[in-house]
Amino acid sequence: MSAYDVIILGGGPGGYLAAERLGHAGKKVLLVESGELGGTCLNVGCVPTKTLLNSAKLYAHAKEGSKFGVTATGLSYDWAAMQAWKKEVVEKLRGAIALTEKKLGVEVLAARGRLLGPGKVEARDAAGTSTVHEAPAVVIATGSTPIMPPIPGCRDNPKVLDSTGLLSVADVPKKLCVIGGGVIGVEFAGLFAALGSEVEVVEMMDEIIPFMDKEQAPVMRRAMKGVAFRLGCKVERIEGGTVFYRTKEGAEASCAADLVLMAVGRRANVEGWGAKEAGLDLGPKGLVVDERMRTNLPGVWAVGDVNGRSQLAHSAYRMAEVAANDILGGPDSNRMRYAALPWVVYGLPEAAGVGLTEQEAAAKGLAVKKAALPLRVSGRFCAENGFAAPGSVKVLADAADGRVLGIHLVGAYASEMIWGAAALIEQELRVADAKEIVFPHPTVCEAIREAIWAID
Amino acid sequence: MAHVLIMPRQGNTVESCVIVRWKAAEGQGVGADEGLCEVETDKASFEVPAGEAGVLLKILHPEGDDVPVLAPIAVIGKAGEDWAAALKAATAPAGEAPRAAAPSAAPGPSAAPNASAASRPAPAASGSAPGVSPRARALAAREGIDASALAGTGPGGRVIERDLRAALAAGPGLTAAARAAVASGASAPRSGSALGGRVGIADLAAGPAAAAPGAAPGREDTRREALGQERFAETPLKSIRRIIAERMRASLAGTAQLTFNGSAKAARILELRARFKAAGPESGLAEVTIGDLVLFAVARTIPKFPSVNAHLVEGKLRVFERLHLGLAVDTPRGLMVPVIRNADLLSLRELSAEAKRLAAACAAGNVSPDELSGATFTVSNLGAFGVESFTPVLNAPEVGILGVDAIVNGVAAGPDGRPLLEPRMGLSLTVDHQIVDGAPAARILKAVADAIADIDLLLLK
Repeated sequence: MSAYDVIILGGGPGGYLAAERLGHAGKKVLLVESGELGGTCLNVGCVPTKTLLNSAKLYAHAKEGSKFGVTATGLSYDWAAMQAWKKEVVEKLRGAIALTEKKLGVEVLAARGRLLGPGKVEARDAAGTSTVHEAPAVVIATGSTPIMPPIPGCRDNPKVLDSTGLLSVADVPKKLCVIGGGVIGVEFAGLFAALGSEVEVVEMMDEIIPFMDKEQAPVMRRAMKGVAFRLGCKVERIEGGTVFYRTKEGAEASCAADLVLMAVGRRANVEGWGAKEAGLDLGPKGLVVDERMRTNLPGVWAVGDVNGRSQLAHSAYRMAEVAANDILGGPDSNRMRYAALPWVVYGLPEAAGVGLTEQEAAAKGLAVKKAALPLRVSGRFCAENGFAAPGSVKVLADAADGRVLGIHLVGAYASEMIWGAAALIEQELRVADAKEIVFPHPTVCEAIREAIWAID
Repeated sequence: MAHVLIMPRQGNTVESCVIVRWKAAEGQGVGADEGLCEVETDKASFEVPAGEAGVLLKILHPEGDDVPVLAPIAVIGKAGEDWAAALKAATAPAGEAPRAAAPSAAPGPSAAPNASAASRPAPAASGSAPGVSPRARALAAREGIDASALAGTGPGGRVIERDLRAALAAGPGLTAAARAAVASGASAPRSGSALGGRVGIADLAAGPAAAAPGAAPGREDTRREALGQERFAETPLKSIRRIIAERMRASLAGTAQLTFNGSAKAARILELRARFKAAGPESGLAEVTIGDLVLFAVARTIPKFPSVNAHLVEGKLRVFERLHLGLAVDTPRGLMVPVIRNADLLSLRELSAEAKRLAAACAAGNVSPDELSGATFTVSNLGAFGVESFTPVLNAPEVGILGVDAIVNGVAAGPDGRPLLEPRMGLSLTVDHQIVDGAPAARILKAVADAIADIDLLLLK
């Protein structure tokens, strides 16, 4: 038995950042992780997908370069080399996390943690050796796992993969069927379509990316060349690589593919580490937490995917900081706010957004003023993408007080500029205030400024 | 001709008053004696009667405005009458104090303030008046700060730009949208839940609309409360409460307070009070209370100890010739301390009558501000509540305050040596140890106790 200030279960973005912040503040931290540091995000999520996507983009751009005066001949990609680069990136970044933890005095224990109760964690290593550790604060950051729905023919089918499996397939499939038109489904669809796969996305809802603004999602969908979207279709069974589904009209249809990606969502990891036994309050989406990331048990916080509040790595980062602040007795006002969490979909093109969509504003009964413009209002966007390239920016503001409520983008660089939109919403700037912000020229983000000025 | 209501003069020291509440809306009929609005100085609040019956045509200053005395605040007249013309006619030419009763003053264009101009304090609010300077007011409006809630460091406690800057530097501030909302009337807490503790839209004092629908707490709400998410109402301290808060804090921070507890034999004072009561109204003494008798004892004793009939101001002790006795009075608005002037010269009957008059005026909210300043020693009587001892807080810059406690039965040795129950009145004397040492304080307490014990003899002197 040994004593720490804080014990953290899980070494993903929520866990390792909490460890860093607490370690930096001088706390004695034990980080318990049975797998690799970095969690889903670094090992089988955000980072490896973006690495592969970058290669796919290089390839796609090179193919289309002739209209910009650059012609490549003998163009090809090397999937194995792409995989090797992905591995290198992931491993180096993992090493960087380990080094940071070490520098900050965080003790990383390669073991599976189990919450025995408030302040008490059992850690069992690969050899089966178990140790019990105590600390006044425990942070749960056990993450989430891809959902495998109970669709007949889904289980034990080597052709059906989840995102983790698809990331490291030996060959690029000729035909890929993606079940689920959410973020993960769309990202993989874009990646493999860019590499020449024939891709079909089967989505149960009437539109892809459910949280996207309903005017913007179609812009993104139509821009994803090489991907066929089957909307409003319900998958009924899978036989080998063939997915059988029923269309909205009730007709039976199928998609015969080499591989099937199951991307219907992720479920909080609330089992296997003693949550129920310890008495943690479980909601339908995960551990129930308050705005300080406190669970119902004193001295137990839960951050990241495991609480199901927002399954994004950067949400986990912020939650980790909120929990760390609470543990350190920081300002009480430093609580989790969800109103200005930006999101990004790394399709080809990208989409990003923050704040309310028009539909959400309507559901809240908020009267809005809005402006939507094509990204062609940006000179740089035209120069780099051509005049026919898809891209859109939409800004919503409160009709009553002029406060900017939402900013939504589809198009190149959306991911890199959305933080500015988040800052603007987080600060509750009004349209009149935002008009005074200077945007650099020539940039694509100027389109946001144009849209702000287009609101009367 | 419509009647222009002016901010009445409140004593000689008050130069402006804050309008706390309008009790009638524009277009509403009002009676001549009807209280039209509540106003407050830094010491007390009052009602301003309409003065003439009619229709409230125009409110010239919104609630919260600090208006110089004698400035117009409203126009009352017949329905449909031109209030602006009446105001123009009633307002004296620029440079003179506005007079409501100037019927045919030469109308000049500069003397016709519109409502928005009138809502700013006229330059007539001189530098010595407490209130908010125009620069501070402009900055407060820009930054969404309630300037009237700040402690002013300008002349006479006036809130000046520096105070606004300090408040801005001290607080995390407001988001742009919250600032705009506050500028148009919402009230904001000192810190909020937006970025960096800033006050955001969600933190602004919720109006009735925000509190209404779906407010019934669900299971999750209840649990959240259990996790330290209690619901609460937060309002900035205003007017009298804010002044009490500042003065109490300043008193405790700026003096070396020390309280001595003792008691006085109360058999004679109880007996005397019973006899007064029995004497009936024609005696003029029936209304004299135990508290009045204690005041009398204090008024006769304290002058013998000049060091506690004094103010300590900036290193100088100002010892007073006369005793002006402060009387702590509990009112619905909070603690007020009216002053019985020259208490050392008053007879018991006079003292009792004056104490009653002041207490009633405080309770009714129509005490003159002049009657709320200038005490040289204060008495705070909590005996009626059964308090047996407490630590009265000095009414700085005074150096002494006597707390009067309940009369309880104590045990004394009887003439035959057997224990005897004896009524005793608790006394709690707080002094500023900077001026009064322990032994002199004990002597003062004993002198007061002796005077109370032998109150009948004191009355004969």
